[in-house]
Amino acid sequence: MQVRGGSSILAVAIVLMATPMAAAAQETVVAPAPVGTITRAAVRAQTPNEGVRPRHAKGDPLEGFNRKMYAINQVFDRVFFRPVAMVYKTVVPNFARKGIRHFFSNVGEPLVFANDLLQLKPKRAVKTLGRFVVNSTVGVGGLLDVAKTKDFRLPHRDNSLGDTLGHYGIGPGPYLFLPFLGPSTFRDLPAGAAEAQALPVVVGSPFDRAEFRIPQAVLTGLDLRVESDAPLKALTASAIDPYATLRSSYLQDRAGRVAATHGARGGGAMSDPLADPLADPAGGSAAVAPASPASANDPLADPLTDPAAEGAAETTTSKPERTAEDPLSDPLADPAVSASPK
Amino acid sequence: MSFSFRTALSGALVMIAAPAAAQTADPARASVQMLDDGLIAIMKGGSSLGTQGRIAKIGPVVDQTFDIPLITRLSVGPDWVKVAPADQSALVAAMRRMTVAQYASNFSSWSGHSFAIDPKIETRGADKLVRTTLSAPKDEAVPIAYRLRQSGGKWRVIDVYYRNSISQLATRRADFAGVFAKGGAKALITHLDALTAKSGR
Repeated sequence: MQVRGGSSILAVAIVLMATPMAAAAQETVVAPAPVGTITRAAVRAQTPNEGVRPRHAKGDPLEGFNRKMYAINQVFDRVFFRPVAMVYKTVVPNFARKGIRHFFSNVGEPLVFANDLLQLKPKRAVKTLGRFVVNSTVGVGGLLDVAKTKDFRLPHRDNSLGDTLGHYGIGPGPYLFLPFLGPSTFRDLPAGAAEAQALPVVVGSPFDRAEFRIPQAVLTGLDLRVESDAPLKALTASAIDPYATLRSSYLQDRAGRVAATHGARGGGAMSDPLADPLADPAGGSAAVAPASPASANDPLADPLTDPAAEGAAETTTSKPERTAEDPLSDPLADPAVSASPK
Repeated sequence: MSFSFRTALSGALVMIAAPAAAQTADPARASVQMLDDGLIAIMKGGSSLGTQGRIAKIGPVVDQTFDIPLITRLSVGPDWVKVAPADQSALVAAMRRMTVAQYASNFSSWSGHSFAIDPKIETRGADKLVRTTLSAPKDEAVPIAYRLRQSGGKWRVIDVYYRNSISQLATRRADFAGVFAKGGAKALITHLDALTAKSGR
């Protein structure tokens, strides 16, 4: 939220974002046609990328750049950011850090409210507004989160402009990792930057004052680093390639949040965790095998894909090929036991 | 920074209703129950069991509840078929050691934790999805879901979904891709063993 120079980033990003979005749309159109095994396999064999490992992971065309930025960030984090955050954690008692966290979170609730409205969720918006009012008054200007207690039952629910854009079908675009800003995408970074400008522009003082913005950036940044220390450690400790693992977790989480904005009708990786066919590579021939990662590797595969396509699931023969183009059409049968998938 | 890391690492996700729900006592549920019981047991055993003790205790539970060979194949992806048979079995073994060691190190102490299993089991094709929630008095509840597939007459876990959205398998594929592309199965085994050693400390 503390992104500066938001508008210029926004402009650049919008220009760059147009291409991948168009490409994604085309992919979706191509997907569902139920062509027989041999034809599809033949077509696939002709596609230039077939069998060749791409230089970057799907969804991460800037991987080379991103990895450099990640490395820079790691150094910066090790020598400066984490040590300072740990000092903050030691010096400032937990209740005070919590109060500060709640205060800035409460300041952000009107933005959550706005996004609830933009997603046409009036009930949710009312709850968010109620939460903001309760915490701003009874909660002493937001220092205490009384709204989530049993008396009110209004817990914080994240919402953001990135979620709203995703809600209306805008894909994440290329993944982006920047020092100090962490993981993001071409959709979410400018959206976050724009949101950070909302209160300064709409409300003005004190949100547009350096006296407010600098402490806000410093305190929320430090608190976030403290709070994410354990999960980050766990993530890097369990990963061979922490960069790729963070990217994958981040993109899946974002896709899940966008899918969640659609409630039960959502079609993303989260609302439909079984969408990925998980075809066993040991079960298929070499020609069949490339199917799974193409679809499976990409948890972002358009979160708005029509869930109805799943209905086509129940055949047995040609599925591994079809999964390559349309992850939702796969019967989820393991080729290793394809004789009796049930 | 704040926006992105918060989004990546925290937050509650809305549970999504099931398309095809199958109730009644489900064999897939029994497998998840067994895993959860095993995890609670090693958490309660905690430091008195020690890491090795927890590994010894959760190992057989992992063997019975996870389809480690399939998870390994799926994590490696289509290039699995090009891996030499000896390396294939070495990969599966390394994957098992790492899975067990990570459970033993991540579930190392108990402070009122409990698992609740959602009675609604979703079925899709050959697979089932069992949703659980890990709760502790002091922490925010964490939704953890399991995708199971039948093999050898038993329902076994083939993927784990953290907070309902982050697939462990998808994350592993991303994690393994680079080292596998560069160094093949042998490099992957070396790295898996290194992770196991890290967890075992």
